[in-house]
Amino acid sequence: VSAVAKLCGCDLLGAQCEPNCCCDPDCSPQEFSLFTSCSIPVVRGDSHLCREKAAVYSLDVEANPPERIFKIIEQVNPSIFCIYATNYEQALYLKSPEIPTPENFDELLHKFGGAAFSAEPENWNLDTEAPNPPEANGTLRYEYGLPIQTEDAFLRLPSPVVSSWCSDANPAGFLVNQATKCIRSVSVEKCERIPALNMLFYTNSSILAVPKSSQLVNVSVQSMVVQSLNGMRTLLKGNDVLRLPVVLDGLCLNIVLGVTYHITYTATGEITEAAASFVLGAISKETLSIQQSFQITFTQVNTKPVPLSGNPGYVVGLPVRAGFRLQEYPFPAEFGHSQLSILPSTSHQDCLAAQAARAPVRFGYNIMSGCKLRITAAMKCQPLAHTLLDVLKGQNFPEYVASFGNSQAQDVLDWVPITHTVISEQRISTTLQGSCQIPVSLGIEVKWTKYGSLVNPQARIVNVTATLTTTTLRQLPPGRERIIPVTSSVVFTDISAPAEPGYKALPTINIKLPFDFFYPFV
Amino acid sequence: SSQLSSLPLQILFYVTGIYYIFYFLATLAMIIYKSQVFSYPDDFLAPDLAVLFLMAILEVPRLYLGCKGNLQEEEAALGLSLGLTVGSVLLAVYLLAWQTYVLWADVLLNALLLSAYGLESGLKVTAIAAFVS
Repeated sequence: VSAVAKLCGCDLLGAQCEPNCCCDPDCSPQEFSLFTSCSIPVVRGDSHLCREKAAVYSLDVEANPPERIFKIIEQVNPSIFCIYATNYEQALYLKSPEIPTPENFDELLHKFGGAAFSAEPENWNLDTEAPNPPEANGTLRYEYGLPIQTEDAFLRLPSPVVSSWCSDANPAGFLVNQATKCIRSVSVEKCERIPALNMLFYTNSSILAVPKSSQLVNVSVQSMVVQSLNGMRTLLKGNDVLRLPVVLDGLCLNIVLGVTYHITYTATGEITEAAASFVLGAISKETLSIQQSFQITFTQVNTKPVPLSGNPGYVVGLPVRAGFRLQEYPFPAEFGHSQLSILPSTSHQDCLAAQAARAPVRFGYNIMSGCKLRITAAMKCQPLAHTLLDVLKGQNFPEYVASFGNSQAQDVLDWVPITHTVISEQRISTTLQGSCQIPVSLGIEVKWTKYGSLVNPQARIVNVTATLTTTTLRQLPPGRERIIPVTSSVVFTDISAPAEPGYKALPTINIKLPFDFFYPFV
Repeated sequence: SSQLSSLPLQILFYVTGIYYIFYFLATLAMIIYKSQVFSYPDDFLAPDLAVLFLMAILEVPRLYLGCKGNLQEEEAALGLSLGLTVGSVLLAVYLLAWQTYVLWADVLLNALLLSAYGLESGLKVTAIAAFVS
C-alpha cells in the first residue's frame, strides 16, 4: 500500500470518523453511506513528477446505500520538464531543521539568536542597547517613545499598573499622547505630606530640552480650575500663585485632582515649552481615596492643531464639530470652532442650580438627559423662558455642524446649518393669545449617511435639526409649586441609501491611424 | 578504392558538433531553471555544472582529432578520439542517471547524444580497421 493511500488530510480526530471525510480509516461502510460528498477527493504526491500515484476518493450516490469508491491511479505529468528521477532525497520535501549539538550550537546561535535572522551573519552587529551613542555635544534629540528626561529622573505621568492604584514611576513618552486615570488613597490628616497631591510635585523638576543636555525647560502653570465638593468647577484667574494643600475646617483644600501637560516641541526633537493645567479639589474627612486623571499632549511649535473627529468620516465616540459663521456674505466665510454640547445630568437634578460642565455631543452616541424645574407662583414667565433656553442650549449654541470629521473652516460647503423648529405642546385646547411659552425639551436629531466606498464607508452628517418643544406656563395660585421635567436629547439616525455598486466604464480602444498613413494616395 | 576516409563518419562529426552546441545550451538552461524552481543546494549544483563543462571541454579535441584522423587516414588520432569518446559517454551517462534532478527533457537529450556517440564509435572502429589493414 503506497504512501498516498495512507495520507488523509481531513482525519483530524484520532479514533473517530470525521463526517464527509472519505479517506478516514476509522469510518465503517455504514458511516460512508451517510456522507453527502467527499471533502478531499484526491490525495496526490508532488505534481512535478512525471509519473506518480494518486488516491481518488468518491461517493457513489446511485447505489443504495451510497458507498465510497477508493481507487489508486497513476497520474502522468505531460510536461517535458517533469521530473523523471532525482538523486537527492530531500529534493521534494521540506528541510528539517538542524538539531543543535555541542558542535554547531555556537554557529546556530549566531545565525538564529537575534530578533531577526539576517542573510549575512557576518555583518550583523549586536545593537540592542538604547539608541544613545556616546556623544559629547548635544546632537541628541528626542525620538518617539523615548521617556522625557527631567533634572532628576523622568517626567512622571502617574498611571494605574496592575490594579487601579496610582504608580508614580510611569514616565511620559515623547510624542505619545496619553490620558490615564488612577486612584490614590488620601486622608485629611496626611494630605499636606503626600507629595502627589501637591502642585509642586508636578512642576518643580525642569525638563531637559534635549536628552543628556543641560538646557532646561521649566514647567509653567497654564491654568488652574478649582472643583468644589459638589463637583462644580471654576476657572481661576491669575495663575501665578501656587496653591498648596492646606487643612481648613476639616477639609483639605488645593489637592491635585488632575494634571494636563502641554508640551511644545520642534521638528528636530527638541522640547521648547512645557505647561501644566491643574484641577484642584478638596477632600473631607470621610474621603478615603480620590481619582486623579493625568493627560499629556504634544504640539509642534507654530502650529495650532484642531482636533479632528475623524478623517474624513466621523469616528463613533469623537465629539461632533460645530461652529459659527464669523463673517457675512460676500466675504469668504470662516467658521469659528465651538462644541455642540448637551445638558448634563447631575445628581441634584435642579435645572436652575449652578451647572457643571456641559457634556459634548459625541458622534453615534444617543444621549438623553434632563433636570427638574420647580415652578413657584412668584416666577415670571419671560425671564424663566430665557433661563431655560440658556440651560437647554448652553451659552454658545453653534449655527453650523461639520459634515465630515476633518472639515476645514474655509470649506463653506462642508458645513451643515442647524435648522431650528419650535413645537408648542398644547395639552388643553384653550390657548390664550400671547400666553407665554416656556421651552421644556430640546431634541437634536442628527441625520448621517454612509459616504464613499462600500469597503470603507465614511460617516457624513447630512442634516441637523434642533426641535424645541414649548409648553404654556399656567399661572399658579400663590403658595403652590409645580415640578416639570426638562429634557434634552441627541439622536443619531442613519439615513444611508442602500449601496449601489458603481462600475467603471468599459475601456475603449482608441486607435487612430497617423495623419499621412495613405500618403501617396491621399 | 583509393580513398579510405569514411564519408558517413565525417558527416556524423559535423552533425554531432552542431547537436552538441544545442545540447550544451539546453542542459545549462535547464540547470538554471531547476535551481530556481526546486531546492538545489550548492553542494549538489557544483558537480553537475562541473560535469557539463568538462564534457564541453572534451568535445573540442575529440571532434578535432576525429576529423583530422579521418581525413588524413591516421589511425592514431582516430584512436585518441575514440578514447575521448569513451570519456564523453561516461559523462553523458552521469548526466542521464546521476544528476540531482533528471527531467524528461534531460533523458531525451542525453539518449540522443549517447546514440550519436555509439554510432560514431562504431564508424570510427570501422575506419580504423580500414586504415590499419
